[in-house]
Amino acid sequence: MIQAEFTRVIELFQLPFMQRALMGGILTGLIGGLLGSFTILRQLSFFSDALGHSALLGISIGLLLGFNPSWVLLPFAVLFALGVTYFLERTHLWTDALLNIIYSSSLAVGIILLSFRDEYKGGISNLLFGDILAVQTADLIFSTVLLGVCAGFIGLTLRSQMLLTLHEPMAIARGVAVSAQRTAFIVLLSLVVGVSIKAIGVLLIGAFVVIPACAARLLSRKFTHYILISAGLGALSAIVGMILSALFDLPSGPSIVVVQLGIFLLALLISTVRALAPSTSPIKN
Amino acid sequence: MNEPVLVVNGLTVRRETHLAVQNVSFSLQPGTDTAIIGPNGAGKSTLIQAVLGILPRQSGKVIVLGHSLSPKGYLPTEVRQHIAYLPQNFLFDRRVPITVSELVGLGWDRVGLQLPWVGRRSRHHAVRQALTQVDGWHLREQLVSGLSGGETKRVLLAYCLVRPRSLLILDEAQAGLDALGGAEFYRLLYQLKQEQGWAILQISHDLDMVRCSCDRVLCMNRMLLCQGTPDHTLTTENLSLAYGSEFVRYRHSC
Repeated sequence: MIQAEFTRVIELFQLPFMQRALMGGILTGLIGGLLGSFTILRQLSFFSDALGHSALLGISIGLLLGFNPSWVLLPFAVLFALGVTYFLERTHLWTDALLNIIYSSSLAVGIILLSFRDEYKGGISNLLFGDILAVQTADLIFSTVLLGVCAGFIGLTLRSQMLLTLHEPMAIARGVAVSAQRTAFIVLLSLVVGVSIKAIGVLLIGAFVVIPACAARLLSRKFTHYILISAGLGALSAIVGMILSALFDLPSGPSIVVVQLGIFLLALLISTVRALAPSTSPIKN
Repeated sequence: MNEPVLVVNGLTVRRETHLAVQNVSFSLQPGTDTAIIGPNGAGKSTLIQAVLGILPRQSGKVIVLGHSLSPKGYLPTEVRQHIAYLPQNFLFDRRVPITVSELVGLGWDRVGLQLPWVGRRSRHHAVRQALTQVDGWHLREQLVSGLSGGETKRVLLAYCLVRPRSLLILDEAQAGLDALGGAEFYRLLYQLKQEQGWAILQISHDLDMVRCSCDRVLCMNRMLLCQGTPDHTLTTENLSLAYGSEFVRYRHSC
């Protein structure tokens, strides 16, 4: 019985669309985990989530103007992210409150714009939760290039990024171009969110950035390990999530997020046990 | 006379509505230890942050090792590499996972594009030497967030020492160290300036230590009130000018 199920899953993964979906999941998991590691430390988690929600506005503008939404989404995401950053820096209100205003209002405007296009009324669930099974080869190529750019950026500027995350005045004193580095990171983050929307949807994209990074934080002491573990857990949860979704015929994106949650809870358990361990072991003299 | 390490000329810094630093000029020679003294709110930290380009200045010139600090705070990376800065409060998010050896290693690396694994051995060697100098090699695998105040100061000093520098800027670095740690700290600074010719600029509230170990004193309260050798500057008149007469009366009664 179990063997038959596994055979079915293996056969399923021989279908090209499932292979593309798996690759798409792994790539999104890797990029999300990689950038997510810095995103949560710089307290940009909610920013990435708001960016995801606001992407719906970009899609609806594209549809209304008669363009391919995918082409409108990326420039929209980048411009939107830079605009929001500029706005946040110049307004003396709470960041989370402002982000709430931005994402809920852009979501509202996006839905209203979509209502003008009858054929998309039914497709709104696809936009909200994504459709990883619909990932095309072109999407995979774009994600691979983006992964290369993100890994190159983080790898080559690793020390500057670490210093900047740790202590901004010390980073400036060492000559880190703080504002340029920040902007570059925001642009990459918005590209990642924009590219992943198709597969993951506007509601769940935040999970890919935040959950593997938080789990990695619980498991690591060293900064460099933390970044690698975060990316690794992102990819691992995508693989396990895709297999589970095939096995039990569950929606793919949410399955991956549930696996991420499982990994996070496991990491929480491991870190709690580790923290308790020294006090329960006999004291050595 | 040697080429000065740092020249500050007519520096004025505005913070929100008031001028925190007004028309301050001084220069530092290599191999000298200069203390900035003055009461709280005198603009000491603002002054050094403007010198480092952390805070924007309203007017004046800052020249480090012959290179002018641009109005936007830019200095060539090679020059920055010769400056070490130890902030007054090392306030950082304690949830950031970073070990002591990683933090000290950050002081060694050049800022700029670099493959993360390049120079691993040299970095490790330099980190070991710097941590040994501050008696902190045993802390290397510990998380920075788990260190005590004194240990954090020692580790940050190792971050500054991990590479030869020309200018070391300390904002109340010895605060938080116990008496023994403080003495060790000054011995190390003396060694750096004597043997390696570092110029040291430090903010200090410990006037007795300043008198014993610094070569020059800048006494300020928004403006530079006087500068010169400790004997010349730390006089009753100058101190009462900077801190008010109450302070001087208190010191005399101790």
